[in-house]
Amino acid sequence: MELTPDDTIIFSVYGIAINATIVFTWVVMAFLTVTSVLITRNLRADVAPDRWRTMLETIVLTIQSQIDEISARPDRRLLYFAGTLFLFIITSNLLAVVPGWHAPTASLSTTAALALAVLVAVPLFGIGSRGIGAYLHSYLEPNIIMLPFNIIGEVSRGISLAIRLYGNVMSGAVIAAILLSVAPFFFPVVMDMLGLLTGVIQAYIFAILATVYISSATAPSETQTKPAKEHS
Amino acid sequence: MSIDWITVGAQIVNFLVLVWLLKRFLYRPILDGIDARECEIKERMSEAATIREQAEATQADCRAQIATLKAGREGVIEEAREAAERERAQLLAQANTRLQREQAAREEERAQEARKYTASLHTKGASALLALTRKALRDLSDETLEQRIVARAASRLGDMTGDLAAAAGGSDTAVIMTREDLPEALRAQIEAELSAVMPDIGVQFRTDPDQSPGLSLRLGGAQLGWTVDSYMDGLEQVLNAQEQSDAA
Repeated sequence: MELTPDDTIIFSVYGIAINATIVFTWVVMAFLTVTSVLITRNLRADVAPDRWRTMLETIVLTIQSQIDEISARPDRRLLYFAGTLFLFIITSNLLAVVPGWHAPTASLSTTAALALAVLVAVPLFGIGSRGIGAYLHSYLEPNIIMLPFNIIGEVSRGISLAIRLYGNVMSGAVIAAILLSVAPFFFPVVMDMLGLLTGVIQAYIFAILATVYISSATAPSETQTKPAKEHS
Repeated sequence: MSIDWITVGAQIVNFLVLVWLLKRFLYRPILDGIDARECEIKERMSEAATIREQAEATQADCRAQIATLKAGREGVIEEAREAAERERAQLLAQANTRLQREQAAREEERAQEARKYTASLHTKGASALLALTRKALRDLSDETLEQRIVARAASRLGDMTGDLAAAAGGSDTAVIMTREDLPEALRAQIEAELSAVMPDIGVQFRTDPDQSPGLSLRLGGAQLGWTVDSYMDGLEQVLNAQEQSDAA
């Protein structure tokens, strides 16, 4: 029994093995992109939106509102990043109802890649928002002794992001596979339904945590806000 | 459980590509569309607010006009009545003026006709009187009116010589004025009579169709007349008295 789709090689290109994780990721990317293109290709301000466009607007605005609630400095680039994380993960997880589907998020490589993306995005957003000096100074807060702990915390939350998503999705798929072999008629359906719920929750958690991390990096520190408060 | 770092790298690339794709085909069109729709809705709401304000202003204006009309209806009716009364009075005044003018014109025309009639009557009466006088003189004494007038003037010249000489001043010609030419015998008679009383004075005979029948003598600033004017005036007074008695 394979615990990760990384081990399933679909085809090779110039000696490079293309595994199921990458292929199913491309499928998710194609699904999201084609759906978006089909719905948004004829957008006009003077035409009332149809149900598909309304659905997309609802999704995008819901994500935007969640980000606005969390972040002190709402930014469209944060919407692009966190929204894409959410849509990619939830689509990967929900397509698990399709027979033969291997969710890319059940691969530790995928979750690690997403966690690495978050780990890189956090300082990039922080530096872009506060400047490199202020951002690096945040690692020395409340004092320089906390520098190694801040670095460890930064890395460990990336690892926790990756492991949490991977563990939940992979475990759901593994448990469903085990139950399918033991009791093939009832329990797999229940576990698949539970897996869909878990997949939605995990997508939400991953995107929200990424937003929180980035927002905490972009938020002005206490030493920056205090003079402003004194002035005000 | 293992990490395939090649897959990790590929997935990072895939994720970044997906971010770009969704930004290009999902977020930007959707958010731009929402922004455009919000702008359009704001514009329409602004237009609607403007139209509503205009409608409310028009409504208030109409209500004010209705209130003004209601309040001023009695006044307008009274004003119209007064205007009609003024117009009526003006028309009556114009009609009265025109009537008076026409009456005055008719009075004047009637008076003029009466004057013409009276003048014509006087003329005809005078002519008749003159003709009767001439006929009576000719029938009863075989004389003409001119002969009697010349004879009367000749008889009066002697008494008036002093007055004539005083009034003559430097004038040396007496002018005898008649309505028609005098016969030669009468001319000679009066010329002889005048030469007898005033030898230095020459005589000149003239005629004037407008002069009443008779004879007038003018010497310097003096003028003597023997005409029928006074008789005509007497006739006129008789006729006027008769008219007034008839009218009474």
